[in-house]
Amino acid sequence: MKGSENILRILQETKLLVEKNNSFELKSLSDKTIRSATISQDADNIIVAVLVYSLGKVMEREHYKKMEGWNEFYNAVIKNLNLAIRSLKMGNIKNTRVYLGRIRNSLNKISGDLGRYIKDVFRKAEINKAFKLYEHGLSSEQTAELLGVSLWDLASYIGQSNIGDAKISISMPVKKRIKIAEDIFG
Amino acid sequence: MKYLIFDSGPIISLTMNGMLPIIEKLKEVFDGEFILTSQVKNEIVDRPMKIKRYKLEALRVMDLIDRGIFKMSSDIISPQKLNKEISRILKITNGVLRTVQTGEKIKIIHEGEASCLAFSNLSDSDNVIVIDERTTRLLTEAPQNLEKMMGKKLHTPIKAELSLLDGLKKFKFIRSAELLFVAYKKGLIPIKKNKDLLDALLYGVKFKGAAISSQEIEEMKKLV
Repeated sequence: MKGSENILRILQETKLLVEKNNSFELKSLSDKTIRSATISQDADNIIVAVLVYSLGKVMEREHYKKMEGWNEFYNAVIKNLNLAIRSLKMGNIKNTRVYLGRIRNSLNKISGDLGRYIKDVFRKAEINKAFKLYEHGLSSEQTAELLGVSLWDLASYIGQSNIGDAKISISMPVKKRIKIAEDIFG
Repeated sequence: MKYLIFDSGPIISLTMNGMLPIIEKLKEVFDGEFILTSQVKNEIVDRPMKIKRYKLEALRVMDLIDRGIFKMSSDIISPQKLNKEISRILKITNGVLRTVQTGEKIKIIHEGEASCLAFSNLSDSDNVIVIDERTTRLLTEAPQNLEKMMGKKLHTPIKAELSLLDGLKKFKFIRSAELLFVAYKKGLIPIKKNKDLLDALLYGVKFKGAAISSQEIEEMKKLV
């Protein structure tokens, strides 16, 4: 686990923000996490970035909190965040990973629609974080690989953004590139 | 013999726009081969075959391989030779950018993209790489832009050792947008030819992941 001190700080902040029901700060915290994940490309950093962003998305949906299974999910989040923090403080990285994994696994035990909805939030969070890594400069295939998402999912996400419109992304005049295309086709 | 080497992005954006048959039409007027490496095939066929949502698209691409529209790189260059070159390219490209603070290298490209560069490097024939994503293009066409962009996005100074890239030859890149531009000009699109069609084609691939700006599209429209 690269930057475990940073991860510990993030998990502690995450727990506080979940308890305070502060979805905006959770998503902002996730953005900061993704910057270090871009550099380290460490699976733990990426898992934490996805988790924090997902929790931010879940917390902003007030109607989820009235659904069957919400209390089970919320309690599983707080309990496992506490356990992950405690394990990380003791330097037990293996257990930290287990407890973080249990947050997502807890969704399998929730009856009704909520579990399915939150699983979808996690899946979309993975695509969102993959997009963020691409936005930060990693190639599309590198990001897809790191997040375990499909390039097919990522393509639409990239397309709906304004990444391609950034002047810095333009590396050759249009006419010159068209000429390459026309020349190769004779 | 000429080669058009396809990365996964253009095949995805063309497929998602229902434009995969245009690849076949372009092949008919191309005096050479359309190349897929096994690393790219893995991204556009093997992996999506396991995802129900994309299985049909994977099968349609596989059909183009089966019918010889796409030729596998292994028919031309041995996988061992290609893999060796991929490793060399990954070592170079993923060693270019480092954080100033920690000196940590940033791994920016993946085997799929590297395999296109590797095939291009090993091929003796005239070749062009078709790639929609910007990072690989920026890395060889304007690496200073990539350095600047990453430093800004990551909120940390980035140091680029651009001399490492000297070992790589100048690659020629086009995108799915330029492919469709050629197809449009050659009258290969089976829809009435007018400016709306070109507009729709170019924005279609932009919205499915091709890194092309609206400004570039407007410029392209003026070139016909």
